Amino acid sequence: MRTIWAIAKVSINELIRKKDFYVLFIFMLVMLGFLSIQNFFDIEGITRYVRDFGYTLVMLFSFIIAVTFSAKQIPEEIERKTIYPLLAKPVSRFNLVAGKFLGGIIVSTASFLLYYGLFAAFYLSGGESISVVLLIQGFIFGILFLCMVCALAVFFSNFLTVSANVSISIILYFVMISFSDQFRQAILYSEKPLSVSLGFIYYILPHLDFYDLRIRLAHSWDPLAIWVIAAVVTYTVCYCLFLLYISGKMFQRKQL
Amino acid sequence: MDQIISINNLHYSYVSGKASIEALKGIYLTVRKGEIFGFLGPNGAGKTTTIKLILGILTPKKGEVKVFGGDPHKSQTRLSIGYMPETADYYKYLTPVELLRMYGAIFGIEKSLLTKRIDELIRLVDLEKAAGRAMGTFSKGMMQKVSFAQALINDPDLLILDEPTGGLDPVARKNMREVINVQREREKTVFFSSHELSEVELVSDRVGILNKGELVISGPVEDLLKGKEEKQTLEKYFLQIIGE
Repeated sequence: MRTIWAIAKVSINELIRKKDFYVLFIFMLVMLGFLSIQNFFDIEGITRYVRDFGYTLVMLFSFIIAVTFSAKQIPEEIERKTIYPLLAKPVSRFNLVAGKFLGGIIVSTASFLLYYGLFAAFYLSGGESISVVLLIQGFIFGILFLCMVCALAVFFSNFLTVSANVSISIILYFVMISFSDQFRQAILYSEKPLSVSLGFIYYILPHLDFYDLRIRLAHSWDPLAIWVIAAVVTYTVCYCLFLLYISGKMFQRKQL
Repeated sequence: MDQIISINNLHYSYVSGKASIEALKGIYLTVRKGEIFGFLGPNGAGKTTTIKLILGILTPKKGEVKVFGGDPHKSQTRLSIGYMPETADYYKYLTPVELLRMYGAIFGIEKSLLTKRIDELIRLVDLEKAAGRAMGTFSKGMMQKVSFAQALINDPDLLILDEPTGGLDPVARKNMREVINVQREREKTVFFSSHELSEVELVSDRVGILNKGELVISGPVEDLLKGKEEKQTLEKYFLQIIGE
């Protein structure tokens, strides 16, 4: 664990010293400020739209940080040749993969914490009744979502270039968020064997849509049941561990 | 444990395009405790590949490498190794102190001891003025100094240096020679590859010459030059051996 933590800390230093995080933060402030002005007009329904949009921004910005950080971690170590002094130390390749994954999670969670804090403040200042439990659930789901994104980016970095990795991750994100329901419908209404093939693809794809509480937060619906949260946590842990295991195995075979 | 590095019938090949290239063709080599071993060879001879195999970064296709009598693929075997690569562009957002702290943490060095060790190393490589600066602004020579310092962070029993003097000024080279000599006095082992044959001649107890993946000859420098014409230098001998 000591080794994994030491490797992860490099990413934290990078986050603090790079401008990306601050630029997104300022952009977020400006956008939320702008959205809160829209809210003052009290047009019916606009509060929901504003919340929806604000939450989408929080998730999108955190997603950008998670993907761009995690995707380049291992390829950059190889390119800069810092991988050699690192692997010459008592560091296994699994440690390295886990360290990079943890670094990605810490960096993106720290960003998410700040962005979500802003969003929550903006949300609560709206004056409407809002379930704090739901806000907390949104926070937990956000972190689970970032774990999944970091694990995917680390996994893809074994065989994709950084730009291809980021592109695939973005496509996957939008496809899963936007078309997951349609995909499910297609499985239900198609004939065998097509439905079986589609079902297989559907179940192996990472369900980034599970973490999307946008509509629930926008409409102030009831919080999720505990069993739903437990199921999503279990799904995320299993999926991430599986991806990290495969990544570690692939990285172990890689001739550097 | 007298044998620090033991290499038996080591083969390694890699694929480049459609061709399979045999980088190492069955080398045998032993490096003993307290020895300064110079590993020589022209570009592409297989020196760095051999070093990567000694460090467990690569896996042999055939043959065996043992370090401290163990498998270098196991993390525990590498606890007492220090390695300085030929080139490495260390994290540009970190300062040398932060880099050394990170590597020290990997070895599990206790905090106060690590702080003391980092101070010593920063002084040793003459980077006091740049210790708090991000490495993104460093020259090649400064980066080599950082690289040398990180190789010593765990006070290793085996120090492996791959072309250590490239990019260093004469003062830094002299400092490095002194450090190697101190390592010898402390009965530590140093294995280093270099193109700077005069440097090798100055510090090595024994040398091995690698050419086209084969260890052509190895032995003490004086023995290799014994009986040869007067003013024979290692450089002349090396050129004869590799057929230039």
